[in-house]
Amino acid sequence: MTGPALRVAALSKRFGGTQALRDVDLEVASGEIHALIGPNGSGKSTLIKILAGFHHAEPGAVAELDGEPFDLGHVTASRHDRLRFVHQELGLVGELSAIDNLALSHGFARTAFGNIRWPEMERRTTALVERFGLGIDVRRPLVTATPVQRAVVAIAAALQGWEGGRGVLVLDEPTAVLPPGEVARLFDIVRELRDAGASVLYVSHRMDEIFALADRVTVIRGGRRIATRRVAELTPRSLAELMAGEETETDHRPAPSAGAADPVLEVRDLWAGPLRGVDLDLARGERLGITGLVGSGHEVVPYVACGAHAGPVSGRLRLPERSERWTEARDAGALGLPLVPADRAGEGVIGDFSVGENLTLPLLHRLRARAGRLHRRRESALAEDWIRRVGVRTAGPGARITTLSGGNQQKVVMARCLAQRPPVLALCEPTAGVDVATRLQLYDLIERQADEGMGVIVCSSDTQDLLALCTRVLVVRDGRIAREISGRDITEPALVHAMEGTE
Amino acid sequence: MTSTPTRAAELPPSAPHRSAVFVPGALGRRAVAALSFRNIGAVYVWLVIVVLFSVWAPDTFPTIITVKQVLNGNAVAGLVALSVVPPLAARVFDLSVAYTMSLTSVLTARFLVSAGLGPGAAITLAMAAALLIGVVNGIVVVVLRVDSFIATLATGALIQSLITMVTNDSSITGVQLLATPFASIAQLDADGITLPVLYLLLAALAIWFLLEHTATGRRLYATGFNADAARLQGVRTDRLRFLTLVASALLSGFAGIVFASSVGSGSPTAGTPYLLSAYAAAFVGATQLRAGRFNAWGTVLAVLLLGTGITGLGLATSAQWAASLFTGSVLIVALVLTGGRIALPAVLRRRKGIPSTAGAGTPAESGTPPVTGKET
Repeated sequence: MTGPALRVAALSKRFGGTQALRDVDLEVASGEIHALIGPNGSGKSTLIKILAGFHHAEPGAVAELDGEPFDLGHVTASRHDRLRFVHQELGLVGELSAIDNLALSHGFARTAFGNIRWPEMERRTTALVERFGLGIDVRRPLVTATPVQRAVVAIAAALQGWEGGRGVLVLDEPTAVLPPGEVARLFDIVRELRDAGASVLYVSHRMDEIFALADRVTVIRGGRRIATRRVAELTPRSLAELMAGEETETDHRPAPSAGAADPVLEVRDLWAGPLRGVDLDLARGERLGITGLVGSGHEVVPYVACGAHAGPVSGRLRLPERSERWTEARDAGALGLPLVPADRAGEGVIGDFSVGENLTLPLLHRLRARAGRLHRRRESALAEDWIRRVGVRTAGPGARITTLSGGNQQKVVMARCLAQRPPVLALCEPTAGVDVATRLQLYDLIERQADEGMGVIVCSSDTQDLLALCTRVLVVRDGRIAREISGRDITEPALVHAMEGTE
Repeated sequence: MTSTPTRAAELPPSAPHRSAVFVPGALGRRAVAALSFRNIGAVYVWLVIVVLFSVWAPDTFPTIITVKQVLNGNAVAGLVALSVVPPLAARVFDLSVAYTMSLTSVLTARFLVSAGLGPGAAITLAMAAALLIGVVNGIVVVVLRVDSFIATLATGALIQSLITMVTNDSSITGVQLLATPFASIAQLDADGITLPVLYLLLAALAIWFLLEHTATGRRLYATGFNADAARLQGVRTDRLRFLTLVASALLSGFAGIVFASSVGSGSPTAGTPYLLSAYAAAFVGATQLRAGRFNAWGTVLAVLLLGTGITGLGLATSAQWAASLFTGSVLIVALVLTGGRIALPAVLRRRKGIPSTAGAGTPAESGTPPVTGKET
């Protein structure tokens, strides 16, 4: 029996007045996949950053690799050899090739004159990458690779020069950037690494991944370690309780609703990007899911409906409550349907704005006072009202939006859409990067809107969203609606098979 | 309410009530924040400079003449600096302002001296030229989608060729420029404070009102901070960018006319020295008052800070090189002190990582980025 590959004890960290971590212990046994799970803001990223040497721990912390203590404050050579990281953003340079990216951390092979020996670099990189068997072209810029190929390059970069195999690989939410079909492939790769003798610390906030992959799991919440358990002893419900700290309802499945009698949105023959002729009808109070593999075109539908798609579109759509007339899809922007975009940081929130400013941005025309002046008092009242209604956790409308957790930012984005009182709410990846507890609140919020008669489009590649929320799901494959699943038939296998076309 | 989890209970959203209860405390805190070094550091630096030069040059510096000299001498620089604030708020660089300024100064002079037009007609025509430059800039930057930094350098070169055409690279002088109606534009004074100081105040007031108190201003900042997000919220980002370029051309054009009136000639290089100081003032200004946002009063403050320092150095030493040294140092120190909080222009700030890794499962794969192209 060997000791733990990585042991951390009594780890604490303060940021100003916030105790981010409090006496956290963590043990990764050698040859196991150990999951670290916790809601956003629980301290798991802080823990990883301390291990990686970005932050310094408070004095008193103990850290050992294979029983040998190491200094948490310094990135020493020995630690670099045995503790490797794949960070959430993967830390790759997209414009560069796999060869270049791997060389960034390990250097180039050079001749006596200092010029790079490209053939050798290519051989070396290929050798590292090809064991994962995804047919990666090591010379092409990574932006042209698929997300799972990029993840593999990041893992290969982390594993360079790690031939011994005894060590700990830390994967920080690696599936956040992967479409569901490719997650399984990543899991295979992670298992393969474990079977080759490596230990893996797998950070996630997705419970299904824990059950699919991990041997043991450590739950942290509020900067404390709540529990470490063998995954085999847990049920999704008991793990959710550990994470959320309360009884959470795991089965959010709604009953199938009545037929689409009363349409709020009709779309006909939509062509845009990968879409080739999509029709859809959305009824009052309906929660319609749209899903598919990345590139299938499902992710484009809400953008087109909201007039936010770049590039040529054709087709027509109609909001019967507004007008009996059909609108050309290229003029869809004039209908003014609000969109909760997929990329929250890039298209959703304005990071330099406060919570209030983010909330009222599309509502400014309502806040005009004399001489074109902005009515500040009405603005903050409006912002406070919606902060309360959707339950945003914030110090107030003046707080900067980036001080909020991902889930609370998402609530702000949703609130400003709801404040426009639209007949249809289009959501893209509504729970991406949102912790479990907030996720449930978002589901509640969306359901309440639908109950009040709003038609909701949930465009998601996360089957959990579809299972929890939708009364009907359209599965898009190769730009067409390949399958429509409704009510009790919406199950994980049904969705995955429809997406992959393996029915 | 939503199903409230335990964490939400820790912080009930009752901030308005609390601030209502502790009004004195809140007021005090706000006053401290308003007077903090982070907020108005330039004022403290300015005071230090004033004390320093008063000790260094006790006979010449701490006088009312110096005050007037700083105000009058920096009004035009202030106008040019203010002209780049609205574009910068929308993250657009207008580097052609210096050339626009030179052009209106030589055009006004040319129309007055050679064409024999009256001041009103000359000024109208020169401002029409400035308007045209703004529209051309707008077309190149917004319609043709050339990065503003490069585009306005290019249009600047075009304007320079126009200037050379008009002037043959020599200043235009004439008695018409020194005659009363035109000369008064810049030279009329009350107690030694000339009219351009008033123009500066009015321009700052207008830009402050626009940026701080109107929906348009909020939308300008939104455009500058995150154009994609702003566009999705219905902000017409292209139109706003276009308009800021027109506004900067008009204001810098006006500065050129004021310059021609104040020196009594149209110089083909009138604007050149103002370009660096305008951007220095705008960037130092963005670290003041509304940290991270380009704003009017911060910019005016920065112009006065730089002007005081340069005037003081001129009085204390006679070193010609001192002015640029001072401008450069203040810019660096201001940017360092604010810890890089000032948002970099889009050309310098690229999104971290690979585009499609920004969010979970973002649809940025295989050439179908959700929103990047044209305005909707």
